Amino acid sequence: MSAPLLEVHGLTKRFPGVTALSDVNFTLARGEIHALCGENGAGKSTLIKLLGGIYPHGSYEGELRVDGRPVSFQGIRDAEHAGVAVITQEFALVDELSVAENIFLGRAPCRGFCVDWLEMQKRAVALLKDFGLALPPETPVRELGIGQKQLLEIVRAMDKRSRVLVLDEPTAALTEQEVEVLLTHLRRLRGQGTTCIYISHKLDEVFAIADRITVLRDGASITTLETAHATVPAVIKHMVGREITDLFPRKAGSSAASSAAEGATSLRPDEAQPMLSVRHLSVAPARGKPAFLRDLSFDLRAGEVLGFGGLMGAGRTELLMHLFGAWGHRLGGEVRLCGQPHAHSSPGESIRRGLVLASEDRRRYGLILAQEIGFNLSLSSLREFTRAGGRLDLPAEQVRNQHFFGALRVKAPSQHTRAGTLSGGNQQKVVLGKALMTGPRVVLLDEPTRGIDVGAKLEVYELINRLTAEGRAVVLVSSELPELMGMSDRVIMLHEGAVGGEFARTEFTQEKLLAAAMGHAHAA
Amino acid sequence: MNARILLKNLSMPLALAAIWIFFALKEPAFLAPRNLSQLMVDFSIIGTLALGMFLILLTGQIDLSVGSGVGLIGGIAAVLTVQHGWPAAAGLGAAFLVALLLWALMGTLIVKERMPSFIITLAGLLIFKGLFWRVIHSSTVSVKGVEENLYSMISTYYLPAGMGVGLAVAVVVLMAVVQWRARAARITHGLSALSAQRAALKFALMGAAVFGVVAGFNQSHGLPMTFLILAVTAAAVYFLTQHTPFGRYLYAIGGNEEAAVLSGINVNRVLIGAYGLMGAATAVTGFMQTSYQGSSSTTVGDLMELDAIAACVIGGTALKGGRGTVWGVLFGALIMTSLLNGMNLMGVTPEMKYIARGTVLALAVWLDVRLGRT
Repeated sequence: MSAPLLEVHGLTKRFPGVTALSDVNFTLARGEIHALCGENGAGKSTLIKLLGGIYPHGSYEGELRVDGRPVSFQGIRDAEHAGVAVITQEFALVDELSVAENIFLGRAPCRGFCVDWLEMQKRAVALLKDFGLALPPETPVRELGIGQKQLLEIVRAMDKRSRVLVLDEPTAALTEQEVEVLLTHLRRLRGQGTTCIYISHKLDEVFAIADRITVLRDGASITTLETAHATVPAVIKHMVGREITDLFPRKAGSSAASSAAEGATSLRPDEAQPMLSVRHLSVAPARGKPAFLRDLSFDLRAGEVLGFGGLMGAGRTELLMHLFGAWGHRLGGEVRLCGQPHAHSSPGESIRRGLVLASEDRRRYGLILAQEIGFNLSLSSLREFTRAGGRLDLPAEQVRNQHFFGALRVKAPSQHTRAGTLSGGNQQKVVLGKALMTGPRVVLLDEPTRGIDVGAKLEVYELINRLTAEGRAVVLVSSELPELMGMSDRVIMLHEGAVGGEFARTEFTQEKLLAAAMGHAHAA
Repeated sequence: MNARILLKNLSMPLALAAIWIFFALKEPAFLAPRNLSQLMVDFSIIGTLALGMFLILLTGQIDLSVGSGVGLIGGIAAVLTVQHGWPAAAGLGAAFLVALLLWALMGTLIVKERMPSFIITLAGLLIFKGLFWRVIHSSTVSVKGVEENLYSMISTYYLPAGMGVGLAVAVVVLMAVVQWRARAARITHGLSALSAQRAALKFALMGAAVFGVVAGFNQSHGLPMTFLILAVTAAAVYFLTQHTPFGRYLYAIGGNEEAAVLSGINVNRVLIGAYGLMGAATAVTGFMQTSYQGSSSTTVGDLMELDAIAACVIGGTALKGGRGTVWGVLFGALIMTSLLNGMNLMGVTPEMKYIARGTVLALAVWLDVRLGRT
């Protein structure tokens, strides 16, 4: 066998104040699917940016070899020439252009100075057929689902004769069916000789598809394992450098009743007045539109974690956003917060009344990325530091920020570090810190662990336990069933905006919950 | 890296020094107390408007209407005072209220009807210009009747030397108290604070600067009223942006409006407030500029919106919002006015002045982009 397709030797990449990669080595064999695993901040993104030419040759130490020959990529184009195509989480698709135009973006087939539209359509149809995408090539990309966009990116990469496909978290936003479709295509491409680097936090997918797994930790390559001889706990152990025995630290029975009884609330939760009570709630996206959330009723008690599951578009995020006062037009029903009617208000009003939301898309909805960690932490709580004459008590604010910065174990040089420079898990901690500093009674968490690493997840779970032990109530929305089942005392599955089924902890099985999410509550 | 940060931080003082040295060599009259005093009046007028614009730019919005607004509000005050015989204070007050109302209205349209600020304020530019010309009947309305009044004195009153020194002493004492209390508060909270020597050194430098400025003005007529107005405005904007929730919210909205909404910030109220303050700054600038020209005529305020935006941008305020400082804006305004003043002295033709202003603006943004990248 000739030289490996791609080799990485002694790669070291330094940013001001941080060493993102130190002496990373790994080898990519022809025709394999090679998974990269590691916690957030382990250096996966940096590594693929080097491979994709985004960080040019000279900005790092060490060597990249393709087919045994050293290469020095100056930009993305060089990498593409060498056959390396990187598909990032943010799609490089133009929403307003058609599927065909996107596939041939920047290299449309031409006759003279004119684009040869007919040729473009013909080639696009042929490519799409390979992938079983029954899309007319003139469909605007904005009408595509996330899964289809993902496949379209791959179609485009394949048309560029890419030999190495680098996929960064391709399934982060996909439904289970879409994931299956994607994995099937990757297997097919592997059969045709394409090599793939696959980055994912979801270890079950990694084990379903990868031939080999390389684990990165703190910027170093720890080990490369043959998937056939590896186990999930072993990989996790390498990723975190310690063994995590209990992935979901919330234990059945120990949660609501006992923690509340320990002192935070003197009443047993089921005797106490519900903290949040929702009756026959129906909400439309806007005035004059039909109902999207339909006839929802539930109670949330002190010290309890109520989980909400459901498929994409089932209305989980919309429900939280509505309760928080940031979405929709209420058609009917009633919401009570600690016994008081909670009309459709505003986020500011909700926060003042003790209801807070940590939203799912932290970069878009959660943080002011250009500002410091401290700025973000106290942003919802500035009233607390406002003194006579509208003056902010800056030292008091800084002390408070420092307390949350330390308590949440945000990994950053100081609270004056810009939020945009943090890894996903640490950004999530800042978002949670901002919510918790308001001193909430009810905390709405929308996908609090999306895209963050195992260690940070565990910290989020411990935080949830701490909140309920203090007598607060938590609503947890999650797309990951094991997480939902592991951390909730009760779960409500939403199906097309209505309750598809409600389950006590003792009744949880993946099958039951999934059936309820798909509208077959009584089938399972 | 450190050299780059140093260069970025020093780029404005260095640019200013270069401009001053260039003009001083070309035209020695540039450094004459008389000219510097006039330069400071120009600076005060543009600086005040730029500080208002700064609040708008921080949120990621823009206001193109302020140039016309300067003319309109100054014109209303002039007509009320001189043609209708109102006391100057009443005329100024009424015009000020009109400004607040107009800008609050524009702010409301922007947030409630979701109309882009670029369009609303462009409409404002045209409408205010038309209103302005109607108000003064496209003629020239003097700001003083037979004798000096409050309106005309805005640009002609200079604080006598003794009072200037007295004011400087008061300001320095106030600074000492504020700084000492801020330092004490940090220490009681267990936070790091400047060592006593450093705090004293910082204070001494600031005190020397205050006395230096007053001494400089006393070389000529004394402290101009316009400069006092700028100083008060700058202190107010500094306090607002650095020491109040409102200021934080301006930065937050400009940085990420959606996240600001979900953080519980009443974005609409903050934006309307910012436009209201812009209206106030426009009114005050209008009074100064009209008074400075001696009368309200159709060209008052022309293109001042662009000078104000340019001053902010030269001073490092990001047009897409979320970034900028009061010091930067002041430096930017001083750079702009120094250029205009120097070119006037050298007898540069108006067409060349436009070209030079445009070039400096483009150059400043280019430098900011180059040095801002990490």
